[in-house]
Amino acid sequence: MKTIPPSCPEPESGQRYWRSLDQLAEAPEFRQWVEREFPAGASELVDPVSRRHFVKLMSASFALGGLGILGAGCRRPEEKILPFGKAAEGYIHGVPQFFATAMPTRGSAIPLLVKSSDGRPTKIEGNPEHPDSNGATDTFAQASILGLYDPDRAKNFVQKGITISREMALDALGNFGKGFVNTRGARLAFLMEQSSSPSRRRLALTMQLKFPEAKWAVYEPLDLHANRRVTGSIPHFKLDQAKVILSLDCDFIGTESDSHCLIRGFARGRRVEKPTDSMNRLYAVEGLMTLTGMNADHRLRVATSHVVAVAAAIAAKIAPQNTQITALVAQTILPSNVKPEWIAECAKDLQANAGASLVLAGHRQPLAVHVIANLLNAALGNVGKTVQYAAVPETTTNSDIAGLVALLNAGQIDTLVILGGNPAYNAPAELKWAQAQSKAKDVVRLGAYEDETFGASAQTTATQTFLQLPQAHYLESWGDAVTRDGTTVPIQPLIAPLFDGLNELEVLARLGDMEINKPHEIVRETFRAAAGTGVFEENWKKFLHDGFLAGAKPGAADRPLSAGEVTQAFASISTPALSKDNLEIVFHRDSRLDDGRWSNNGWLQEFPDPVTKATWDCLILISRKTAAELGVDSTTTNRTTSDLVRLTVTVGGETKSIVGPVWITPGMADNSLGLALGYGRKRSKTGGTGRIGQGVGLYNAYEIRSSSTMNFATGAKLERLGERYNLAVTQEHGSMEGRPIIREANKAQYEKQPAFAKNFDLEAHMEFIPKDEKGRPKGIYEHPYHAYETRKSMNGVSLEGLHMKSDIHQWGMSVDLNQCVGCGACVLACQSENNVPIVGKDQVSRNREMHWLRIDRYFSGAGDKLDAMVDDPQAVHQPMMCQHCENAPCESVCPVNATVHDEEGLNVMAYNRCVGTRYCSNNCAYKVRRFNFLDFNRRSLDQLKGPFYSSPLVGSTEGEWTMKRWWKNPDGAIRPQDEWDILKLVKNPDVTVRMRGVMEKCTLCVQRIEQGKIAQKVKAGQSGDVRVADGAIKTACQQACPAEAIVFGNQLDPNSRVSLLQKSDRNYEVLGFLETRPRVTYLARIRNPNPKMPDYYEIPLNTGEYVKKQTANPYEPHQAHGEGGGEAGGHGAEKKGAH
Amino acid sequence: MSSDAPSIEIPLPPKELQREPLVLHHRPLGWISNQIACIAEGPAPKWWWIAFIPSFLIMCVGAAMISYQVSTGVGVWGLMVPVAWAWDITNFVWWIGIGHAGTLISAILCLLRQRWRTSINRAAEAMTIFAVMCAGIFPMFHVGRVWFAYWLFPIPNANGVWPQFRSPLLWDVFAVSTYFTVSLLFWYMGMIPDLATMRDRAKSKLRQIGYGIAALGWTGSNRHWWNYEKAYLLLAGLATPLVLSVHSIVSFDFAVSQVPGWHTTIFPPYFVAGAIFSGFGMVLTLVLPLRAICNLQDVITVRHVELMCKVLLATGSIVGYAYGMEFFIAWYGGNPYELYAFQNRAFGPYWWAYWSMITCNVVSPHFFWFKRFRTNLWFVFAISIVVNIGMWFERFVIIVTSLHRDYLPSNWAYYIPSWVDIWTYIGTMGLFMTFFLLFVRFLPFCNIAEVKVVSEYGDPHHSLGGAKGGH
Repeated sequence: MKTIPPSCPEPESGQRYWRSLDQLAEAPEFRQWVEREFPAGASELVDPVSRRHFVKLMSASFALGGLGILGAGCRRPEEKILPFGKAAEGYIHGVPQFFATAMPTRGSAIPLLVKSSDGRPTKIEGNPEHPDSNGATDTFAQASILGLYDPDRAKNFVQKGITISREMALDALGNFGKGFVNTRGARLAFLMEQSSSPSRRRLALTMQLKFPEAKWAVYEPLDLHANRRVTGSIPHFKLDQAKVILSLDCDFIGTESDSHCLIRGFARGRRVEKPTDSMNRLYAVEGLMTLTGMNADHRLRVATSHVVAVAAAIAAKIAPQNTQITALVAQTILPSNVKPEWIAECAKDLQANAGASLVLAGHRQPLAVHVIANLLNAALGNVGKTVQYAAVPETTTNSDIAGLVALLNAGQIDTLVILGGNPAYNAPAELKWAQAQSKAKDVVRLGAYEDETFGASAQTTATQTFLQLPQAHYLESWGDAVTRDGTTVPIQPLIAPLFDGLNELEVLARLGDMEINKPHEIVRETFRAAAGTGVFEENWKKFLHDGFLAGAKPGAADRPLSAGEVTQAFASISTPALSKDNLEIVFHRDSRLDDGRWSNNGWLQEFPDPVTKATWDCLILISRKTAAELGVDSTTTNRTTSDLVRLTVTVGGETKSIVGPVWITPGMADNSLGLALGYGRKRSKTGGTGRIGQGVGLYNAYEIRSSSTMNFATGAKLERLGERYNLAVTQEHGSMEGRPIIREANKAQYEKQPAFAKNFDLEAHMEFIPKDEKGRPKGIYEHPYHAYETRKSMNGVSLEGLHMKSDIHQWGMSVDLNQCVGCGACVLACQSENNVPIVGKDQVSRNREMHWLRIDRYFSGAGDKLDAMVDDPQAVHQPMMCQHCENAPCESVCPVNATVHDEEGLNVMAYNRCVGTRYCSNNCAYKVRRFNFLDFNRRSLDQLKGPFYSSPLVGSTEGEWTMKRWWKNPDGAIRPQDEWDILKLVKNPDVTVRMRGVMEKCTLCVQRIEQGKIAQKVKAGQSGDVRVADGAIKTACQQACPAEAIVFGNQLDPNSRVSLLQKSDRNYEVLGFLETRPRVTYLARIRNPNPKMPDYYEIPLNTGEYVKKQTANPYEPHQAHGEGGGEAGGHGAEKKGAH
Repeated sequence: MSSDAPSIEIPLPPKELQREPLVLHHRPLGWISNQIACIAEGPAPKWWWIAFIPSFLIMCVGAAMISYQVSTGVGVWGLMVPVAWAWDITNFVWWIGIGHAGTLISAILCLLRQRWRTSINRAAEAMTIFAVMCAGIFPMFHVGRVWFAYWLFPIPNANGVWPQFRSPLLWDVFAVSTYFTVSLLFWYMGMIPDLATMRDRAKSKLRQIGYGIAALGWTGSNRHWWNYEKAYLLLAGLATPLVLSVHSIVSFDFAVSQVPGWHTTIFPPYFVAGAIFSGFGMVLTLVLPLRAICNLQDVITVRHVELMCKVLLATGSIVGYAYGMEFFIAWYGGNPYELYAFQNRAFGPYWWAYWSMITCNVVSPHFFWFKRFRTNLWFVFAISIVVNIGMWFERFVIIVTSLHRDYLPSNWAYYIPSWVDIWTYIGTMGLFMTFFLLFVRFLPFCNIAEVKVVSEYGDPHHSLGGAKGGH
């Protein structure tokens, strides 16, 4: 790999991510140069940015990295960029820099470290220094970088349908602000999104003083902080401290706020290194099948509206003296499938672990369930131990969206300011926001897209002044936020706004006619109050460098509820009887599009849903039994198709219906339907989603969602339309078929037989197979790769001097299936790091997705009957990527030697040599190789819709024959130039962008390995110590994994994490009997069920299937296995045991 | 012939011991020359145009499909992961299999002195050449970057990168190219005396020059014949192992891999038997209409057809046995992945392909136990087509059903061909038919010289034999 060696690494601590240019900044010549050069660049920026010009600016924008930290801390006070006239000191072309920032989420933030390659951000990582982070992120953060380079983002300042200049727009804002001063803000309303930004809170407070009459409202289609409605605080769960966890419809592994932190805690509490280690136990009560339910030791399937009954029943066991709960129990009806022992034993287990237990309530649940959870945590003594309540300040409001609509309809609002969000699309249906919005005289709207809210103004431009301001991405604007533990984090830009966008701080400041109206200054000003003692500039620099303000403590906000409040919360609770004519519908946060905000993000659209594995679609999730009753069906045999249905429900007195495909989901509650939010978006001339998101998903769930049924509703009816619909599902077969691919045991079996995982091997049951000294089957042909290890010569040929293997590094990876929860952050991290293209729905439905790393998900059920199999299944997840086999089957069949082994044990692909016979893929037992069938990097999604793919022979692009364009420039031929110019910016420059006809696959991030080795060589200097320290190289998947399930390292180092894990008795190779000798190995999964529970199974259900098919019990000692257990205690001793 | 020469009485063997002659109705030598050569002479008959124009058009469609595929990507086919080979390699093996009969008939039957081969060997060899050409298209164009396909050849280069000699695909390259070269030489060499006949019969200058060059100065002298026979025998000896090797090596593409359902040692013999089976099926499909249209019933007799039916019966039975043995070993081997692969073939989503294969390949040839069926030419023609369909399904079953469900169930998927897959395949049939029709139109499609040898007039022991009658 050709990489320019990096400069001498700076000390590990301190200025690692920042290059201080203070000295340079102080130099008077430089000052002068900056001042002289700047106006020219700025005047260019005022013009509507031409593409070509924009790219020029882009390439120059690494001035941010080098020059950006001039003067006052981190960046030049003026947020303009400079042509790269002089190289910045310390800047080395090709060496990436890292900047600390954060991604704002609803009322929280994810601290980040963003890689910048030549001035453009290219990869998102978590900030490991942050006190509440292990450097992991979630899927959305990983994918957010693609949103920065989305060519469909709002680019223009538009007033009354006419594009105006930025300056004109800013003037218009100022004029608005001046106008309000006289009226004290009367007839002025603000609608905002949830945000934890202290700066926004400060600005809003200032403005509320200035304009006391103005209305302020916050609207989020999904309120993930339901607990704020109870006690005004956000609970900070310490899952790693909890031994017993009860989730009341709380999908903390998937779709709750800050799930990446919650996963970390959960996974840490589940870590076992030896059989005696304790691990947590998770009880889940839920209606939809969620990742949390899939990871639960005991899962109770009840309709979402019935969770409260279960919660009350459990609470009544734990706090029988509480009369309010007893009353609630009487008020609700427990579903018939709930066994009393489940409730009783679960409650007992919680009580037995008082102080080390935790009850979580999900955001979909009504207030009552949150109250119960709080009561239970208090009763169990968990508060302060496993849960703390943090007062995360929010912008003060005096109205809500319904209030604004009422005022708008009454004609009492002249000026409406919408900051972010997309209410015309996602406001409750009965409010009819689009109509209400048109009643305001002036609408100022800050939006990232020219979306539905933008489109809603198109019809009314005659009477209304609609001012659209393009919103800057968080990677291109200044801001701040507070994470769930109360730590303040900065949001720093890594690039000048690509489309000159503004952020809400600036809009607020301009509207408030404030003196300080640059976001950078605003954030500094806010920070001034929090900075504490010491030199402000130093504190500020440290804040930006570290990416957080250390030492912040969340305000204690553990406010006990009054009896009246509890009664009020319990008052309206009922558990309606559900049937096939009275179905429950549950609106859920989509694992990919969230509430629709990621609609135009191709990575997320193509990210397989962790439960259904569907891509590019929204489904109507339904249980097997309900589907059978209603006569609807979905199938994955042959092509994946499902029945189209019409779902009818009454919303605010109106009967509304949507049409969508049903999907039979194992583990769904009966008579309950799951509806994903965020789909069914269109793109039209007036506004809508972008080219990626348009037309994805048949239904828009917001159409049938009202203020009173934000989370679930009952009374829905479903009818079959008699049509079938094609789906793109990445995993069609959900059963492991009794194959020992994922190996599991209950905790008790693990304690008895620690090396159980090795007993699953196919040959473990075959005593007649000759074994070598390691217990592996003895091959009849010795692979030369291994001959070099042990022999001086082979077949009379001397092997002296032929070192095939490096004696410094031998790379390996260990994936702990007990830690992995299947969230999929790794999938997107891999996609981002390795330039993996998206292929679109049509291609996914043809099984041509390109993900190098996928998460396999298997279900297993008890018994033989279909209902038992599907209704209450157990689920397992397995990240599957190239296994880097030492005896790689792909290598020997490639006729052109394009895939070969390197001396450090990697199975490497020479893309340039590959001719694309695909034989390697056929011979790969894991099917982890991906083939670029149609030039996926160069084609737009429209061109990837079959069955007629556009051929360059006959097609034309931008009015020119594609072949001619190709002749002139083979790179950009098929795509419009503007699209091509911006999309290539997101690519990692360290990784090849593969062309068509070439096989590709996981490389274990070879670019990171090489960078790590180079850095080590530079560091080693004369000492010759070139062995990379353990943990210095992290693969992209490992770095993103919130569960810390993936460990990469040097197998030759006996003390490296990976070596230790691979020596673990849980370690096994998938399909080890093939003698492919994978370098990627897995640690077997351990379940921790409670033997007293009614749904306790003595062995995991997958293993049950294995036992039945193989007629062998892996938990019993084996005679044939020999020393395979390694140091495993007990196994060797029990060698003579009967088989 | 002079009438006063004393005639020698040669007593005929009893009726039941008499072999049916290979040329019926005591057709004289001149008749044979005329009857065969006239097809390539004179204006093209109407039937020829009726067959040629659609074939040519279909070939053009195939060429368009390949241009589309090369310009756009392999994705225009229905391939995917896990089924990364499907119709492409199915068609490749199918065509290669068809290409087996020609060299088998020419070489092995020549060495075994099966005289009945003479009237069909030319057409069968031509069929081989064209079938191997069609076959070659698929591995060539199925690669993702066809412009680099030449990297499969061991060409010395500055980078010192050689092909991977352990890869069966590379063996394929050698096996198929060797087979094609030897078959082509064999075909051409065997045609030289007939080309000379064509030259001598030619009326127009153009034809005289054309056939003259192709005939390589053949005069029919004793010396020429002596050399010719020697060379022919040598080539037959050289070609014989190739008949066995080429399909054995093609079967290694599968047998050497580790895919359950591919990784079996029975493949080489079973593939060779299957290839002969399909090759003879195709010879019948081609020869039966030709003999009717060109009035060659006396040269390609019912006895020829019957003999070929017997070959079909024998090889079909071997194939059927192999199918059964595969299942037995899958069970007996105790490998659950292997067992599943075979159960899945018969009862999985592709059951229809499996049972089509069984019906066509295992059941249909057994009609040929009965003479009644062997001699009913319409029936034989129908079965010959059924055999070809069955053998296509065999390759489809082996390739697609093994790949679509292998080790990890998470990868399992269902393959459906695209319209380009289908038209590329049909296109190669157009190519085959176009070339075959051109061959019939311009070259003697029966071996004039050798048929004469096996005719009664060419038999020195026969009463009509030239040696007795005196010239």
